[in-house]
Amino acid sequence: MTFGNEAVIIDNMSNNESKSYSDTSRASPKSLSAAKRDAQWLYSISNNQDARALSDLFEIYGPKLKGWLMARGEGSGTSEDIVQDVMIKVWTKAGSFDPVKASFATWVYRMTRNRWIDHKRKHGRMDVRDPDLMKIIADDEVQSAEVNFMAQQNSDILREQISRLTKAQQMAIRMAFMEFKTHKEISEETGLPLGTVKTRIRSAIQALKANMAKHIGQMQ
Amino acid sequence: MMLSMDKKMNTSEHAITEYAAGNLSPAKHAVVACQSEICEEVSSRVAFQEQIAASMIEQVPTKALSPLFMGNVLANLPLQDAPSTDTNSKNNAPETLKHLLGCGLDKIKWKSLIPGVAVHDVLGDRHNKTGDRLYLLKAKGGMQMPNHGHNGEEWTLILKGSYNVGDKSFARGDLHIEDEDEIHSPHINEGEDCICLVMTQGPLKMQSLVPRLLQPLIGI
Repeated sequence: MTFGNEAVIIDNMSNNESKSYSDTSRASPKSLSAAKRDAQWLYSISNNQDARALSDLFEIYGPKLKGWLMARGEGSGTSEDIVQDVMIKVWTKAGSFDPVKASFATWVYRMTRNRWIDHKRKHGRMDVRDPDLMKIIADDEVQSAEVNFMAQQNSDILREQISRLTKAQQMAIRMAFMEFKTHKEISEETGLPLGTVKTRIRSAIQALKANMAKHIGQMQ
Repeated sequence: MMLSMDKKMNTSEHAITEYAAGNLSPAKHAVVACQSEICEEVSSRVAFQEQIAASMIEQVPTKALSPLFMGNVLANLPLQDAPSTDTNSKNNAPETLKHLLGCGLDKIKWKSLIPGVAVHDVLGDRHNKTGDRLYLLKAKGGMQMPNHGHNGEEWTLILKGSYNVGDKSFARGDLHIEDEDEIHSPHINEGEDCICLVMTQGPLKMQSLVPRLLQPLIGI
């Protein structure tokens, strides 16, 4: 792990007392400082064995992760077991967290998703969705934007860019990543023709990629 | 020809979207996880889509953790791991694969199928007629694999060595996705053995008589 640029990452927090950061940051968990706040907590967990910082992190992320697992069809008990495993892993692996590579939100999402797939593997459940829905998504590459995007760890900017899409496009992104439904079900529920559903998802991801590329271009 | 290449790009992009969202079966999930470990280009595409998936968690209803959750976890925290030193050299097995195998590639017991070809089951059972199965396949440099089609998709991630199918070549880090309707007979390039991580759905469809007769015996 490299924390060579930690002064930059935690810049506006470094003047605060160690106890006060959680109160200020919790006031606006969706603000642009969320990634910095998380990185600071991870730093504290890894360098000071700070269990308080771990519990602060999971006061915020625990209910979100449990909500995601339950939306995917797991019961409350299994979901908490998985969140517990993830929380312990965040504690033991905090030293490998690199805020330059990914935000904590992405890091912990990835851990939770992988732990959940592991759970399904051990319990022999196969949850194969209708593959047609995903076949229509994202057929172009914006390689350079993605690389720059990662280097600048802009998860909050991504969220902001999603919020700037049209309502229909935001809904399409939700369909692709959050609804866990087949395109047929989406078509039936929305009353939209199948072809329209497919086109909306593809064009929403393309619009998001283009906006990200433009945004990053302006920053450089 | 161009059309066929475009189709392959789409398929792998759609695999990445489904991976990021957590919609793949454990066998397919493992293939994409391994690929993103050994192929930087895929890794950045995966990271971009994981950022989207992670940010979408904000829109799922949260579920409160049970009152005793935090106290239980905090009371039982293990020792933290030392920060990992990155020892992943060019030819090592992906960590995801080691986790599933419980050991490295050098320690596994290969089962010989036909002269020059050996396999090792990772997930599921090759004799099983349904469901996604995951196994390692090792083929000797220079050999021609039997001509075969598939009853479902075949995903092949090359871990070591290389092979050609027609005028397309595949090497370490490449994911080769074949649909149900495609018939192929990979030619392993001279030199080192080729080791692949293979996901298949249903038994292969052998084209010539001898492999077809042998198939029930060797189980592939």
